[in-house]
Amino acid sequence: MKLLTIELKKILPYKTFWIVIGLYFLFLALGIIMAEYIVNAMVDDINKRLPIPLPHAVLFYFPDIWQNLTFFASIRFVLIFPAIVVIILITNEFTNKTVRQNIVNGMSRSEFIFSKLQVVFMLALIITVILMLVMLTLGLIHSDSQSLSLMFNGFSFVIGFFIQMLTYLCFAFFIAFILRNTGLAIALFTLYTIIIEPVIYFLLRAPFIWENTVYTYLPVNSVIRIVEYPSIPALKKLMNFQLQDQVTLLSCSVPMIYAVVMIGIVYWTFNKRDL
Amino acid sequence: METILSINQLSKRYGRIQAVNKLSLDVVKGQVFGILGPNGSGKSTTLGMILDLIRPDSGSFKWFGEEPTKESRKRIGAVIETPNFFPYLSARRNLEIVAKVKDYDYSDVDRVLHTTGLFDRRNDKFKTYSFGMKQRLALASALLNKPDILILDEPTNGLDPQGIAQIRQLILQVASEGITIILASHLLDEVQKICNYVAVLNKGNILFSGTVHEVLAISDCIELSSGDNTALKAAIEEHPAFLSIIESDGIMLAVFSEDVRPAAISEYLHRKNITLSHLAERKRTLEQHFLELLKDNES
Repeated sequence: MKLLTIELKKILPYKTFWIVIGLYFLFLALGIIMAEYIVNAMVDDINKRLPIPLPHAVLFYFPDIWQNLTFFASIRFVLIFPAIVVIILITNEFTNKTVRQNIVNGMSRSEFIFSKLQVVFMLALIITVILMLVMLTLGLIHSDSQSLSLMFNGFSFVIGFFIQMLTYLCFAFFIAFILRNTGLAIALFTLYTIIIEPVIYFLLRAPFIWENTVYTYLPVNSVIRIVEYPSIPALKKLMNFQLQDQVTLLSCSVPMIYAVVMIGIVYWTFNKRDL
Repeated sequence: METILSINQLSKRYGRIQAVNKLSLDVVKGQVFGILGPNGSGKSTTLGMILDLIRPDSGSFKWFGEEPTKESRKRIGAVIETPNFFPYLSARRNLEIVAKVKDYDYSDVDRVLHTTGLFDRRNDKFKTYSFGMKQRLALASALLNKPDILILDEPTNGLDPQGIAQIRQLILQVASEGITIILASHLLDEVQKICNYVAVLNKGNILFSGTVHEVLAISDCIELSSGDNTALKAAIEEHPAFLSIIESDGIMLAVFSEDVRPAAISEYLHRKNITLSHLAERKRTLEQHFLELLKDNES
C-alpha cells in the first residue's frame, strides 16, 4: 500500500496524465458512437449486391455488447493512449532523475519496479471497470427481456479485455524502462504498434493466407487477437464461417508470456545498470 | 568512536577511465568529512556507489557497521549534484513523497521548510523555483527527520554568492547539531571553511587524508626514485611519519605528517638497503598542490 500511495501522490496532480487518459476515453466514446453507423453503412453497401438483404446490426445488446465494445476499445489506435500514459509516468522518473532520489531515500530497486507494475495493474483494472460499467449501462438500455437472460454469456470478453490492457501496458512498461527517454519511447512504441508490426505481419502473412502461423505470435498482434472480431450477425452470415465467440486461455497465454519475459528483463537490467 | 561509513577497496571503471581506484576510507560519527578533488576525480562516482545508484566493479562498503540495505539509506540524507524533484508538484508534496519513501510521517515537513526558508513558498510548484531555492529544497529533503549522516555533493555549485552563503550557513548549523556530514567539493576554500576532516582525491585515488589541520600543514613533499620503486614504496610506507606516496612518471612523491628532511630519508632508506637515484624536496602548500592538480586536470 505504501508504494501505491507514493505513486498516487506522483500521478493524481499530474495534468498530462488526465489529458491523455481523457483522450483515450474521448476516442473510445467517439468509436462507440460511430461504430454502429459505420458497420451499418458497410451492411448497406453489401446489401446492394445481395438478393436478400442482411439485417442491420445492433451492436449494443446483451450478450454481444461485451464482445463488440471490448473489440472497439482494443483496436491499435485506441489502445495506444493508456500505453503512452504508462511510458510518460515511467520515463518521467528518469528525465526528472526522481528515480535516483527514490533510491537514495531508501527505496530498493525492486520496490521501484514493483511500484510501477502496480500502476500498470491499477490502470488496466480501472479502465476495464469503467468500460464494464459503460457496457452494462448501454446493454441495459438496448436489451429486451430475451437478451437480458443471456446477459453474462459474453463476460469472458471483459476478462479478455483486462488481459489485453494489462499485457499491452506491460509492453509499454518494458520500452519505458529500457529506453528511459519519453519522446523516443513514445515514438518507437507508437510506430511499432501502428506501422512496423502490421507491416511485418503483412509480409509474413502474404504467402499463407488464412493459415494460422508464426505471424499471429507477434507481440502486439497476440494482444489484439484476444478479442479479434466484433460479434455482428450480418457479417457472420456473410463470412460463412465461425467467428470467435469467446476468449480462449490459449490466446491470453501468448501475450502473458511476453509480458512475463519483459518484466524479467526489466528486473534484471534495472538491478544491474547505473542510475 | 562509532564508524558511520566504512569503504573498502571500492573501484569503478568507465571504459578506459578508472573513475575510482581501490578507494578506502572511514567516516566516524561527528566528523564533517570533506572529499576534495577536481572535477572528474571520482567524488560523485564514489558517492553514487555508496548510495546504490552506481554499481561498483569491485570493493565493498558498510553503513553503520552493517551491509548496506535500503533501510540504511533511510538514515541518510543526501543532496546529489542536481536537485531532483517532480516539476509539477509543490515543494510540500515533493517532500511528502520523500518522507513516505523513508517511512516517516509528514510532521517534519514544515520544520525543514522553515529551516531552509521555503515555508512561504511551500505550495508553489517546484518548476517555479529559482536554482537557489531548488538547492535549498534538496537540502530540506535531506534534513527530514534528522538523518544520522548528511551527504552533500557540490552543494553550492551553480549558486550565486548569496545562495552559497545561505547553504554554507545551513550546513554549519547542521554540523553544530552534531550530525555527521560528508561534503564533496572541488573548492578548497569551501572544505577548509566547513570540514574538520578531509580526503584529497585525484583520478580515483586518495592523495592525502587526515584532519584539515594536518593536511593543510603539509608543506613539503619529497621526490624519490631508485632502481626498485616497489621496494622503495614499501620502505617509505613503513616510515613512522608516512602519510602518502604516489608515483608519477617513475618518480615517487612522498608526503610525511611531520617535517622530515631529505637527508634523514636518505639515511633511513640506506639502512633499508635502498640506494636512491633521485632525491629532491618540493616545497608547496596544499593549496598549491591542489591548484596543480586542477591544472593537470584541465590540460
